[in-house]
Amino acid sequence: MANADPRAREVPRAARGREAPVVEATRAYQFSAAHRLDNPRFGPAENARIYGRCNNPNGHGHTYRLEVTIRGPVSPDTGWVEDAQRLDALVRERVLARFDRASLDDLIAPTDGPTSTTEVVAGLLWRLLDGALPAGRLHRLRLEETPNNFFELERDGVGR
Amino acid sequence: MILLTKRVEFCAAHRYANPRWTEEENQRVFGKCGNEHGHNYVLEVTVQGEPSPETGMVMDLKGLKDIITEAVVDRFDHMHLNRDVPYFKEKIPTPENLAVVIWELLEPRLETCTLHRIRLYEDGTFFVDYYGQRGPQG
Repeated sequence: MANADPRAREVPRAARGREAPVVEATRAYQFSAAHRLDNPRFGPAENARIYGRCNNPNGHGHTYRLEVTIRGPVSPDTGWVEDAQRLDALVRERVLARFDRASLDDLIAPTDGPTSTTEVVAGLLWRLLDGALPAGRLHRLRLEETPNNFFELERDGVGR
Repeated sequence: MILLTKRVEFCAAHRYANPRWTEEENQRVFGKCGNEHGHNYVLEVTVQGEPSPETGMVMDLKGLKDIITEAVVDRFDHMHLNRDVPYFKEKIPTPENLAVVIWELLEPRLETCTLHRIRLYEDGTFFVDYYGQRGPQG
């Protein structure tokens, strides 16, 4: 090897000075909430049959993990796609302040969906954040109900 | 088509500062990130290709690890990105800029498969994805 000291090895010039690269930046949050899956259109037996243990009348809860992905050009001034502190403040205000230590069934409206499944909650969180961010900036939202069950929404459909 | 991912880690120090800005402006935008600090970065390199009919592999994982070690880990691990990496004398060493430069370093070194994605975790709460100039659709 001509030069064993990696410090002396240059990074390729190709990486310099061209159109700003488009990068996806993802920030992760968590909130704890209670809920009960129960569709008021169905009777108790039907709800118990469909939702099983998730229909427990006393409710249950999860530590939800939320990933918010912003897609855009890297700013030549900051090197960032998004100011993470600004995004944190927005997610705190729009989501965490309402959803952390809360009962999800109090927070979803009939227009959001039939009951507080994580699919329905993810859709609601998408609308809350997409409406608060500049148009087209929100690229993906991932909501983990547990590490084993998670749901993703992506702009223009899920498939790549 | 199969996607294959190799995960490696490296630790490095950095600080954020835009030399064109005043100290006050840097402090306002970057806050504590303007202080010297460091991260245990986790890098996921995803390549795409067809499994070879001879070996059943898209790419030899040891070979991929050697390429990543030589091109990326040896260059950045236990370094001060601002001081030790010439590229970051001009660019701010954010995960976004790191991911782009890691792509540029790896892409020409891969011969038997195509680089699909660079995912770089700064910590458990922040990561970036870069799919090259052509974007995720390839």
